[in-house]
Amino acid sequence: MEQNPPRKVALIASCLLNQNAKVCQGAHYPGVVSPVVEALRSRGYLLQQLPCPELAFAGVRRWWAVYEQYDTPAYRAHCRRLAQAIAPLIEQYLRQGDELILIGLDGSPSTGVRFTSSKPEWGGRPNRPEDDWEIVPRRGIWIEELEAELARRGLPPIPATGWALDMGRFDEAGARRDLEQFLDDR
Amino acid sequence: MNGDARGWHMALVPDTVINPPAGASASLPDVLRILEANRYGVLQLPPMGEHSLLLAVIADQVAEYSHHGYAVVAVGVHGLPGNGLHWRRLAPLLRHRSVALPPRHLIRSGVDAAVEGERLATFLADYDLPLAEQRRWRV
Repeated sequence: MEQNPPRKVALIASCLLNQNAKVCQGAHYPGVVSPVVEALRSRGYLLQQLPCPELAFAGVRRWWAVYEQYDTPAYRAHCRRLAQAIAPLIEQYLRQGDELILIGLDGSPSTGVRFTSSKPEWGGRPNRPEDDWEIVPRRGIWIEELEAELARRGLPPIPATGWALDMGRFDEAGARRDLEQFLDDR
Repeated sequence: MNGDARGWHMALVPDTVINPPAGASASLPDVLRILEANRYGVLQLPPMGEHSLLLAVIADQVAEYSHHGYAVVAVGVHGLPGNGLHWRRLAPLLRHRSVALPPRHLIRSGVDAAVEGERLATFLADYDLPLAEQRRWRV
């Protein structure tokens, strides 16, 4: 039986194809984050959008939040449900021998890959001073749960990086260089 | 929403138009680029097959957007099963969540891709929610 050649597939955070998913004041593009899409498509990657966990849980009018606020049993259960929804597609790609990568959103409490946002004191009335959270080297909750679900299925870890959109001050040129280096090193 | 660049528009699209099969890309317009140019975001539907849990998750997202002032459309491909939109499964999921079915636009494959691209761009540019809905949410 003829086998299809392996493909390159990028699992990408929902908001990289749809900035409407971002928390209020968090959208840097109208819809598609074109630098990410261009970098991936020009290198032959297929795109597979992941679901947005925060949107379906806390809504499109949610407050800003940090890792610790989303680190609850209910939110983790919600993320596991989403992971179970997308994992069969990911498993299909991997079983076919396709080469997968994951592009998350660094600084995000949910979709951070290298970094997430942290401030254990956050809570109560939302009147925090501007930008007083910290960036810490850790996965976001959604990425943790997605990776755990893939591991439960006996699937190998997927090389991952994050587009640095939620790191405080967004530097598009720096984020682009960073992503291109990740892609070109593969 | 100071400093926020969101476009308040998005399209449900088949996997096939995001990831055209080898050899098929010339027969379809570059839908992703056209959506981007028209300030639309993307809600990517899965490839053909059994994806009931994922479709339910997507329906949850569409409901959240539709109930809060976002314009959602569906862009299918004529000739694909269900136009690539999983409509037989997705439509009841949306109705169950009290979502009016998004307006649909079908791309014809195998005809002039540039003409189809222009037709799609016109459809996207012409669609929005009634002004009262826009004013209610988009502040």
